[in-house]
Amino acid sequence: MADDKDVLRDVWFGRIPTCFTLYQDEITEREAEPFYLLLPRMSYLTLVTDKVKKHFLKVMKAEDIEEMWFDFEGTSLKWHYPIGLLFDLHASNTALPWSITVHFKNFPERDLLHCPSNSVIEAHFMSSIKEADALKHKSQVINDMQKKDHKQLWMGLQNDKFDQFWAMNRKLMEYPTEEGGFRYIPFRIYLTMSDRPFIQKLFRPISPDGHTHTLGDLLKEVYPVAIPNDDESKRYQVVIHGIEPLLETPLQWLSEHLSHPDNFLHISVIPVPSD
Amino acid sequence: MSANAESPTETQKDEPSTPQQPTEDSGTADEKKKIDVLLKAVGDTPIMKTKKWSVEKGRTVQSLSQFISRFLKMEANEQLFIYVNQSFSPSPDQEVGVLFECFGSDGKLVLHYCKSQAWG
Repeated sequence: MADDKDVLRDVWFGRIPTCFTLYQDEITEREAEPFYLLLPRMSYLTLVTDKVKKHFLKVMKAEDIEEMWFDFEGTSLKWHYPIGLLFDLHASNTALPWSITVHFKNFPERDLLHCPSNSVIEAHFMSSIKEADALKHKSQVINDMQKKDHKQLWMGLQNDKFDQFWAMNRKLMEYPTEEGGFRYIPFRIYLTMSDRPFIQKLFRPISPDGHTHTLGDLLKEVYPVAIPNDDESKRYQVVIHGIEPLLETPLQWLSEHLSHPDNFLHISVIPVPSD
Repeated sequence: MSANAESPTETQKDEPSTPQQPTEDSGTADEKKKIDVLLKAVGDTPIMKTKKWSVEKGRTVQSLSQFISRFLKMEANEQLFIYVNQSFSPSPDQEVGVLFECFGSDGKLVLHYCKSQAWG
């Protein structure tokens, strides 16, 4: 049986083969070839696509270049969502490679946040970690860290350094033994067909009478639609990092091992594909 | 995100002598759910005359931030930072209703606002 630590590595090194194609209406000096890249599931689009930009800049004039943004089958891709989440939510049951369209004009102000520099990504990433720790430890662990420790978390993510990241992140995964787990579990449940961006609520990993909460318990509480009744066939897939964990999996374990680097469990609930 | 032309949020004044503005009557009780937000200034950022506001759950942090900036008559190039729990800055597209559920206390969500970065 795989060691729990192996799970951390598998999650960190998850990749999605992607094909970037320039939007047909962009103005080019000659034909733009598509660009292929393995995207890290745990990172952010604007952090890992400098090569994509460089590739398409070769066939475009500087004056035709504005902020780069991406869409998949007409859906603008939010750079501030982890890449793996975007794929699971929008492209789970489509053929690989993931086909993303690249734009340099007509930035969709209503759908996307701007990302003028890496420091914006860093600020967003660190805020997510802080929010997660507010839920897990009343911010005690993150506040006890020094600025250089925070920097190490970011640098680990930015430079794809698993050991550097986890040397610090393991502290955020600790909890007092007598508690049995975190205070609340940082999670977000994303639905494909919903007007609200995601579901996020307070949920404890252990019930007051010591019962260990599972993924199934969480869903029953905050999105019971995802769980079929005994006589129904399964209508939804509950996906984390491209897999469907058993609903019996303890939520505390999922939080410690399947969270993204931002310390949140990002869960996609997508309709079962109809063949 | 675009600057949306939403109608101003209804105020809930603390002083009983000031008459309350009429409630907008639209939508079902569920859609119309509002939460109480208490705005606190940090450092030498101007203090809002009205600190307590009733805000629709679906309102975003960005929308609220723009409202505060307009209320304080801030310049277009001035930034406003919003903090929850005096510890983290929520994403601009975050809904205040979700923040209230997770970080509200005593029936309200306390948000600190600042013209400069207060808590990194």
